[in-house]
Amino acid sequence: MKKIVLIAMLIACTLSLVFASGSQEAAATTKTEKTVVEIWTNDRHDAEYMSKVVEDFNNSNDKIEIKLTTIVEDYPNMLVMSYTSGNAPDLFYMNARGTGFDLQTFVKSGMLEAYPESLLKDPEFEKVTDASKHIVEGINAIDGKPYGIYNVMRSGTRMIYNVDLLKKSGYTEFPKTLEELVDMTIQISKDGNGEYYGISTCASAQFERWLEGIINKSGIYHYDYKNGVFNFDGYKEAMLLAQRFFKEGAMFPGSNTQGVDAMRAQFANGTFATWGNASQEAGVFTDQFPIKDFEWAVTELPSLDGTTKGTVDSRPQKGLFMFSSSKNKDAAWEVVKYLNSESVVKGYVEKGYALPLSIYMQSVVDMSKIGRLADFAPVSYEGLYPSVPAVSVAGDSYAKAIWNCIVSGTDVDKCIADLNKRYNEALEKDIKLGKVKRVVIANYDPLNPNAGEISYLSK
Amino acid sequence: MMTQEAKRLRRKEGISAGLMLSPSLILLLITSIYPFFWLFRYVLYDYNGFVAYFTGLDNIKRAFTDVVFWQSVLHTFEYAICKLIIVIPLSLLLAVIIHKNIPGSKGFKMIFFLPTVISASIYALIFTFIFAVFKGPLNTVLQSMHLISAPIDWLGDAKWVMTSVIIVAVWGGVGNYMIYFLSGLSSVSSEVYESCMIDGANARQTFFKITLPMLSPILKVILLLAITTAFKDYQSIMVLTGGGPNNRSQVMFLYIYQLIFGSTSSFNIQIGYATVLSIIAAVIIGAVTVIYNKFAKKLDDVM
Repeated sequence: MKKIVLIAMLIACTLSLVFASGSQEAAATTKTEKTVVEIWTNDRHDAEYMSKVVEDFNNSNDKIEIKLTTIVEDYPNMLVMSYTSGNAPDLFYMNARGTGFDLQTFVKSGMLEAYPESLLKDPEFEKVTDASKHIVEGINAIDGKPYGIYNVMRSGTRMIYNVDLLKKSGYTEFPKTLEELVDMTIQISKDGNGEYYGISTCASAQFERWLEGIINKSGIYHYDYKNGVFNFDGYKEAMLLAQRFFKEGAMFPGSNTQGVDAMRAQFANGTFATWGNASQEAGVFTDQFPIKDFEWAVTELPSLDGTTKGTVDSRPQKGLFMFSSSKNKDAAWEVVKYLNSESVVKGYVEKGYALPLSIYMQSVVDMSKIGRLADFAPVSYEGLYPSVPAVSVAGDSYAKAIWNCIVSGTDVDKCIADLNKRYNEALEKDIKLGKVKRVVIANYDPLNPNAGEISYLSK
Repeated sequence: MMTQEAKRLRRKEGISAGLMLSPSLILLLITSIYPFFWLFRYVLYDYNGFVAYFTGLDNIKRAFTDVVFWQSVLHTFEYAICKLIIVIPLSLLLAVIIHKNIPGSKGFKMIFFLPTVISASIYALIFTFIFAVFKGPLNTVLQSMHLISAPIDWLGDAKWVMTSVIIVAVWGGVGNYMIYFLSGLSSVSSEVYESCMIDGANARQTFFKITLPMLSPILKVILLLAITTAFKDYQSIMVLTGGGPNNRSQVMFLYIYQLIFGSTSSFNIQIGYATVLSIIAAVIIGAVTVIYNKFAKKLDDVM
């Protein structure tokens, strides 16, 4: 009896599977009139607006249907896996310097399709994106060919500060030099007497979060574009000054191992005076951890001598890249055009998700709608450095090694000598293997790093 | 002489046993044995997940001079030994107490076991708040009890970080081993204890002369599991410290993980080199297991 019941159940399951797949096929055939363009994104914060944008397109277009999928975890790896398994979407979103995404490798492996001339020359497309001004080698272009075009941006790093705490210690203006910043934060911590502190960091991207921006603004970069080698010598002065944050009690205790949100919450609670981060903090301190009990302000980064001698990295966002495996390239380029149209980008910016990238869009967007994001408006010295060769270094990355040296107060010269040695050894080895090329820029200008003539050398 | 019927039955049993084992065997082949041999493909290459560049013996040479890796091996031994010294006696003690069925023991059993069903990364995240320096719960309690005068930077101070990750490891593991011991204890017949009582043995004598020897078969298995788990632990450390400060809490498998999957602020992907380190790590754990097995056999002879 049991056997009969089991067999009957098996037959029922098999039949239901057969009929289910049959009905799916039937459903698919009725929809075949529309070409489906699949897009992947790893942005969650703008999901509500982007879903509406997609819905509007799907309702008004009777030839193309957009299918937008959000991939939260392990995005770059998922992109690679989708391509190698033959299930890649037509398009995917990627921000400039997206974590884990190396454009060179993607292009070298034949995974991406370059933007067509027809689209790049489209006056409407150029007006909204300023595409021709934002083509950066190694970031969204290889050998001058663009593979992704951005339409909005996150600002470069700024200093966000508690005006009330600065006033309590007698500061009415934010410091212009790193040394003054160190002195001020030490003073605030002293005045705080264990109740509040001068400055803070968090467990992730500690060196890159604001200190590296200060160094870059001073005209110093870890890669010598003129000679095509790594050179950390210029970082010494800033490292010695930064060691004082820890030695002399300016730093919020334990912040080095706390998550970014934990430290944002502490800042909103008024327990430290200075926090460095980019324009996403506008939303954080108005919605996520709204600051109500004190006045907060945003200012530009200080530099070593108070002047601006170099570019601070900004982060263009929402770049659409096309997989070479796409079977609907024409339809996909249509979608790219739509997602970079004035109304879509204007709505995106006015929702406060990011800053406008093109000069035209800056003039059309109603800045009164974007709230505190307006405090992070672009400044002239923000831009992108051409991509530095992605070498496989033995041991800790420079950011980790430098931060360790700053926190532990160890020998700065030794740390810099070790980095110069390890990075250049890795560079020479990887060039020999044919893995990377030496990037050299003739007439390199730190204030305009993309202006010089870039060459890629195999030696 | 075996009858025809008995032979047929045995063959039938063999087939059904094979069929029942096959899902596990197939999974073992696909998820454990195949990946292990896959490792060897990239030993001589610099491989970033896309393109493999032949580098000869470079990866092997680098492995033997990589200070961070050998430090991480030492840290792994330090972590594993400290964790085992605390977690095994503690879980045995808890199991013995709970086995006595005192009022509320069922509730305590559940509470102690709870960390086992929570993801390691979740409870590690909670511990980052507990360990917070500024008004963190642990520091506040210790200060109010006048045990410390100034807050301790549990996760950021190289002197304390290993203690902190071991505390979290013990908290996360004790309930699991307690359950193993409880199942071992329940297999000891109550008659043995009764005769013990009649003979006038006290609690200490009963524990050392009866309970412990009777538990020895399961104790061997628990120790083996605990040793291999402790040597492979890295999830909670990844969340708590990421191996820092200054690699003081870097352990073998966390270092390998960071090399394979890349770490935003530490390394770019170096799969070829990571495969060499994985093989070395496997040899180290294999050697520890062999030594333990020899030790366990001697334990048998003594007990």
